[in-house]
Amino acid sequence: GNGINGLEPLESTISDTERFKDVANFRLSCPNCSCSFDFGGIIASSDYTVCPNGLQCRKCDHLFTPLQISCQLERCIRSHISLYYAGWIQCDDPTCGDATRQVSVFGKLCLNNGCTGVRYKYSDKMLYNQLLYFDSLFDCEKNKKLELKPLRHIDDAHSSPEKLSEASIKVLTEQNRRLLEINRSVVQKYLSDCGRRYVDMGRIFDFMQ
Amino acid sequence: DPERYKFRTMRQSLSDAADVLDLQIETIAKIVQTHYDLSPSDFGDPSVQAQSEIHAVGRIVPDSTTTEEFLNMDSLALETSRMAGVGRRTRLDFTDIDEISLFCGQIVAIRGKNADGDSFKVNEVLPLPYPNSPVSTLDELQKCSAALEGKPLKTLVTNGPYFPCNSFDLHFLEQFTERVNSEIKPHVLIMFGPFIDVTNPMIAKGAIPHFPHLKHQPNTLDEVFTKVMVPILKKIRQDIQVILIPSTRDAISKHASYPQDSYNRKYLQLPKNFKCFVNPATFQLNEVFFGCSNVDTYKDMKEMTKGGNTSMRNRFDRVSEHILQQRRFYPVFPGGIKKKLLSTSNDGKKVYEHISGADLEVPYLGLTEFVGNFTPDIIIIPSEMHHFARVGQNVIMINPGRFIGHSGKPGTYAEISITGPDLENGNLTKVEGPEPTFLHNVWKRARVDIVTI
Repeated sequence: GNGINGLEPLESTISDTERFKDVANFRLSCPNCSCSFDFGGIIASSDYTVCPNGLQCRKCDHLFTPLQISCQLERCIRSHISLYYAGWIQCDDPTCGDATRQVSVFGKLCLNNGCTGVRYKYSDKMLYNQLLYFDSLFDCEKNKKLELKPLRHIDDAHSSPEKLSEASIKVLTEQNRRLLEINRSVVQKYLSDCGRRYVDMGRIFDFMQ
Repeated sequence: DPERYKFRTMRQSLSDAADVLDLQIETIAKIVQTHYDLSPSDFGDPSVQAQSEIHAVGRIVPDSTTTEEFLNMDSLALETSRMAGVGRRTRLDFTDIDEISLFCGQIVAIRGKNADGDSFKVNEVLPLPYPNSPVSTLDELQKCSAALEGKPLKTLVTNGPYFPCNSFDLHFLEQFTERVNSEIKPHVLIMFGPFIDVTNPMIAKGAIPHFPHLKHQPNTLDEVFTKVMVPILKKIRQDIQVILIPSTRDAISKHASYPQDSYNRKYLQLPKNFKCFVNPATFQLNEVFFGCSNVDTYKDMKEMTKGGNTSMRNRFDRVSEHILQQRRFYPVFPGGIKKKLLSTSNDGKKVYEHISGADLEVPYLGLTEFVGNFTPDIIIIPSEMHHFARVGQNVIMINPGRFIGHSGKPGTYAEISITGPDLENGNLTKVEGPEPTFLHNVWKRARVDIVTI
């Protein structure tokens, strides 16, 4: 749905941490040892390292080729888009709550009697934020400024013992600029087609006709 | 009009979707009213109790919102339009009907009575009329006949994937292009995507191998297409027209919903004899109308049947007739989804991973209806099911099968030969009118072979 649910701050003013609080991680699997891990940009991780010539799996020291990352990114984006189009619907009433893919000819009307309204469970806003999150992972500026959403909480048992210094992140970002840009272009391919990004003037000025 | 497919995706609104779902019922209701010569007062609201028998048109839906799988005749309801019954849903009672085939999303016309306010007892199901076939004038047919110089119109149809799920082996495609050029020599080659299937397990694992013959390795899946597949496709002779129909599973399309915009020919560096069409597409080769749709209707339409005569029939014929009657290439709603079971917890709760689906852009489903309200002469809907070519209601329905089988074995393609329109041999039916026109009767003039690649 495209309604505004209650009061919300302007989209452009909220921070990335707030914006990305519900997004799913980008899970990569290593083509060599088939272990899988969450990729969170150029950060310290116990699963992977970003070295001067690319991304390396910590378990087997396999160095990913750009295509081995970008193809997984593309498939991950596409499964999110496909899940969005599966059109799961949820009722706003917490006592109703069963998920369905049935749509009434009145759209927002719940098919169980007496409920207030329904909406898409995976909203276009959630999908847009998910794409923006993937975009941020490969954004050189955000990597350098340490503005990425952390993968886990600091008190998590999995958290990496060694932290990367700001200086080394800057250097690594520059050394991997091409790799980051390749992957960013994959996210941009879909962001450029995303209807949420563009204001639908026709719809806003509908009332004037 | 291909321009209408250029909408932006990922911004579906529930009310726009509902408008289209409502319109579908209203449109068929009008067709039924005219065809059976009924008056508006013959129609009633099936959701309210009434003494008398009424006619009703609505959508077949499950009687509960949470059960989608394992439906049967006793668990179905009819959804009315906003006008006819304020969108209410009523349980259907089919005990008095002997032969029927139903599916979710189907628009049906029925006659019956709601005696107790609880369910609508169906006394008769009114078959929806089949849409008309296209016609051509004498002049048009003579031009088409002359263009062929006495030879039959030869069309090949292939359907992706074009490489197996465990290797990037393209030698089948290479062999095929050689045969197309030197042996088969068709006028037109129609190729359905996916060319690079994003659900291919190799891509999910990131296990795309090195391409030893390339100096610069591709960095993205788009580059895999331009650097690895385009050089093979380019070998197809310039005088053979190649038509590409996209798939929503294809990495080389950024438009991941159905109806789907065409591939970008220039971006994909394809030569000029390649034409990129939308999905679904209706087009004309000479006088013959082709309807091509690339969502798996044959797999996704889960029918509920009753009666021996109905279930004895070939399932593909039943599905084909539903497509023609509904006048849409993909009349199933909600669209099919493919998911993978990840785990089952102790309390029996199952966790699934979403893989792919029909990815319907519901507000634009109008674009998936038959163009001009007539049925194409040939309808091609590729499916994962077994390949076939069948005639139903004078329409040729084709599933060419996969180019590469599931196990990496060689798959199939379809070869269609249609003899030129000949006014002498009586194969064309004359339709009288101010200017006489002719039915194409392609089903009488065509031969379809399903060939192993």
